[in-house]
Amino acid sequence: MSPRWGMVIDLDRCTGCQACVVACQAENNIPINTEAVYLQNRAIEWIRVERYWDGEYPNIKARYIPVPCMHCSNAPCEPVCPVYATYHTPEGINMQVYNRCIGTRYCAVNCHWHVRFFNFWQPKWPESLQNQLNPNVTVRSRGVMEKCTFCIQRINHAEQNARLDGNRPLRDGEVNTACAQACPTRAIVFGDLDDPESQVAQIANTTTRGYKVLAELGTDPAVLYLKKIDPEAPAHGGAESA
Amino acid sequence: MRRILRPVVFGLVVLVLLAIPVVAILARSYFLSPTAQPAKAQPIAFTHPFHVNTLGLDCTFCHRTASTQASAGVPALEQCMFCHRVVPTTNKPNLERLVQAFESNTPIQWNRVHQMPDHVKFVHSMHINAGFDCATCHGQVQQMATVEQFRDLRMGDCIDCHRQNNARTDCAVCHY
Repeated sequence: MSPRWGMVIDLDRCTGCQACVVACQAENNIPINTEAVYLQNRAIEWIRVERYWDGEYPNIKARYIPVPCMHCSNAPCEPVCPVYATYHTPEGINMQVYNRCIGTRYCAVNCHWHVRFFNFWQPKWPESLQNQLNPNVTVRSRGVMEKCTFCIQRINHAEQNARLDGNRPLRDGEVNTACAQACPTRAIVFGDLDDPESQVAQIANTTTRGYKVLAELGTDPAVLYLKKIDPEAPAHGGAESA
Repeated sequence: MRRILRPVVFGLVVLVLLAIPVVAILARSYFLSPTAQPAKAQPIAFTHPFHVNTLGLDCTFCHRTASTQASAGVPALEQCMFCHRVVPTTNKPNLERLVQAFESNTPIQWNRVHQMPDHVKFVHSMHINAGFDCATCHGQVQQMATVEQFRDLRMGDCIDCHRQNNARTDCAVCHY
């Protein structure tokens, strides 16, 4: 039985610290986003933290929402690729096959979450960071799309170890994404949604705060958000602690 | 008749001229792909035949991580010196070079024989533990004076073998 990878992001725990973003950049060999790159809207961030202002000054609150790829079960990016460079793995991950990609960018156009990124330039790192690249992740060259992979290099590595260890199934917690690992408040939980014992499945199955971003599009994202608890809201049915 | 023939011949010539660069590019990518690279001489003429046939060493005696890790591992000089500390080097220029390099802390820049592109992740341990012999992909290294690539090792070659052995052919198994 292959797992079905998924993620739960608890917005009540998220402080918007961007540790997930930094961890992702380091883990996945993401090129350095300079100010000029941001101004051209060409920054590559497999996970980003969006900030919203809630209310009017002086009663204003910052709301944060980390946005990785949703790994939709019915992903809009997949059918538009003319060369099948993006496809769904049996484990529910929306994968980008870099060596197939010819850079039409149709997938990015068709993604409602804006989590697909195009390499407009050959990525460069300063000399001091050359040896910091992760050897388990391909450095994407100019002209190909890239996106969050749920840290598939870690998943593959853990699966290989589990197979060598008597072909046993993966245990919960053996695989963790870089963003979930780095999150200081454990707002991000990653795991197998099909394993009822896993932490991510237990949260997803018991919470009453869960929602999916742009769920009305019917793409069935694999990332579940838990909405923020507002302590000042009147205590009615929607408010609960878990 | 001639009025038709001329533009047709002209068109054919233009087509052939346009096809030349296309064919050249395709031929280049075909012949410069991972296979068909000429065997490179190594900075030290290490002989696999002697170490394997005469001394009877197993592949994993030097390539220690083949059964446990993704990379089989090219042994560090220190590992050579485990034995070569006691092997006399007189009149053996290759061994002299080895000892000299070890003593001056300069690693040997071996030439890579099996060049996989960056987007291909081959994991030795999975294949060794599935029961494959090193020679299945690497050939009879114990008979090669200079190690050269034995198999095609392009994607078609990998996929054929994966299909024959019911291994996964999902893209994300090797490309990520």
